Amino acid sequence: MTDGTWITLISLGVTFLFMTGVPVLLVIFYWVVGCSFVTGLPLLNAGSELLNVFKNGFALLAMPLFILTGDLINQSGIARRLSDFAYSCLGWLRGGLAMAAIGACGLFAAISGSNSATTATIGSMLHPEMVKGGYDERFSAATAAAGGTVGIIIPPSIIFIVYGFLLSLPISDLFIAGIIPGALMVLAMMFACFIICTINGWGILIRLSFMRVMKTAIGAWLGFFAIGLVLWGIYTGKFSPTEAAGVTVGFCIIVGMASYPLNKIMGSDKDTPIEDKSVVSMFVVEGFTALDIPRIVSRSAQITGILAPLIAVSVVMQQQLSDLGAKEVIGDFVTGMGGYYAVLFTSMAIVFFSGMILESLPVTIILAPILAPIAASVGIDPIHFSVIFLVGASIGFITPPYGLNLYVASGVTGVPYFRLLPYTVPYLVALIFVWVLVALVPDLALMLLPDR
Amino acid sequence: MSILADIGTIFSAILSQDPWEIKTAFNTQGMWVFSLVLTLVAGLVVFQVYRSVPFLERHLERGVAVFMYLAMAWIIFSGVVDRFVFSNQVPWSTTIPPFLFMIMAWFGCSYNIKLRTHLSFNEFRMKMSRERQLVALTTDAILWFGFCWIVVSTTLRIAANSADNFAIVAGTDSIMQWWFIITIPIAFLLMSGRVVGNLVEDWANYRSGEVLVQTAVIGGDV
Repeated sequence: MTDGTWITLISLGVTFLFMTGVPVLLVIFYWVVGCSFVTGLPLLNAGSELLNVFKNGFALLAMPLFILTGDLINQSGIARRLSDFAYSCLGWLRGGLAMAAIGACGLFAAISGSNSATTATIGSMLHPEMVKGGYDERFSAATAAAGGTVGIIIPPSIIFIVYGFLLSLPISDLFIAGIIPGALMVLAMMFACFIICTINGWGILIRLSFMRVMKTAIGAWLGFFAIGLVLWGIYTGKFSPTEAAGVTVGFCIIVGMASYPLNKIMGSDKDTPIEDKSVVSMFVVEGFTALDIPRIVSRSAQITGILAPLIAVSVVMQQQLSDLGAKEVIGDFVTGMGGYYAVLFTSMAIVFFSGMILESLPVTIILAPILAPIAASVGIDPIHFSVIFLVGASIGFITPPYGLNLYVASGVTGVPYFRLLPYTVPYLVALIFVWVLVALVPDLALMLLPDR
Repeated sequence: MSILADIGTIFSAILSQDPWEIKTAFNTQGMWVFSLVLTLVAGLVVFQVYRSVPFLERHLERGVAVFMYLAMAWIIFSGVVDRFVFSNQVPWSTTIPPFLFMIMAWFGCSYNIKLRTHLSFNEFRMKMSRERQLVALTTDAILWFGFCWIVVSTTLRIAANSADNFAIVAGTDSIMQWWFIITIPIAFLLMSGRVVGNLVEDWANYRSGEVLVQTAVIGGDV
């Protein structure tokens, strides 16, 4: 048998393992091991890469730190304040609470950088209220799953960090390029949500009150401050993204610990209705004690313990693919399609279909180093392409059979995976619309970067 | 015979504590057999220790991961404060944290095996018969064990190589890289203990009629 036949058999074998529920980490690892035997590459290479990915990856450190930030703002009560603010702004519209959930995802994403953290936090916080407010529970779960996709597009973003790390692009530029596309994703999903809720008559309307909006805005000030801190630090170049993540973690810990005793003195708790809270008490969040920190960090460590090894083995797989000449094969296929738009849309199709069967991190690590140089060769700006690529990768979070956000939403809401699938379709349409728009109008990604 | 001789060389090299001898011994074919036995024995020992000391079972990997996480965050945060307030920054503030991240990632990976929260497509497995589910779970255990074996074998060689080269962490005068690298095989030996634990649990569940495959919640049980 030829090497090609062996590699095809190995690929089919690991696909079978994947379909029978073997963890993705193992599926990728054994593909690498199998291909190493075929090509004669020593396994020592794989072992050393599992170390080198971390050793040479200061930029990658932003990933665990932004995951921790997400958990800290959730536990401190800042995330709840952001969602209260979103609801007070949008609750007067049909589907206001669902739209507020998407808006809260956008705000949460601007401090954290993780899609699953966004889905889990907003889903567990707002799903019960949405069901109580007359929304279909499947739609509510689908809203949390779809809203979480912006977690990796609105800066800071874990996947932008990985992309910049792999392709040696300035991560701060990538973050800035993600702002407008991320905001468009939020708006498009809100619009889809409004239409669905209007058709079905879901949701209880609340009166738009200037006082309530102001009060909740005051209540969310720490969240806005954290968003401002991250964006200011990165935009002005005061910190690298990793340092911005470290500063935000420090900020959240200080704020969380300082708020706890102050909140006790004021005697308000998270269940007190906003109308009954004084304006002064809105300045302080629930916070946490020093004793809570290990528990919070433990949760972040669990999520990092899933994602970081996956990144490491995906990097090894990417190198193996490169050795096998996949870059040339895919490159010939994509460039054979024609010029600028043909390459653009073929790349988008590859990302979309890969996102359906693989987690977005492996998709990015495996395909970005192959597709980005091809895109650059036909004149697509590398930063613009990164945004196109990653918006596509984020859509992969809600495309079956393997949509991570769908699993997370199913896990936190208790709605079975297959039952929430049909309700993601309107959001999928909205996201694909934004994706094509971002692809066709480079300025949407590049206008905030004056140097490009 | 040559493999047995290699294993003998590995043992004598370890006892000699000479980095060059250890590196040379680890680069032989016998290292694969040595690390296979090591992973298997360590897995059984770790499983027994976890069974006898539930505190360790619950807190060892998590404790290490949390400590590394906080240390990493603290070094980066204080590095920024140092730079802004005192116009100074210790040179290792950007070189030590990646190693801490590495330790945290692999110890966290090990704990996720216990929680069975590694990302997977479970839809078909949930619908399988109990017998097939057990086969699938046993396959998982074998694959995890193979993963541990390969990584233990390769990273022990890398650690020995690093020790032999006296590789120092950049920005420090005397902190050796192998002190950090050696934590990877340690994490994978703990992982093999988790694999044994899961396998024992799955077979016990099968015999007692308990549910075999459950939906894992990411972020649960912490």
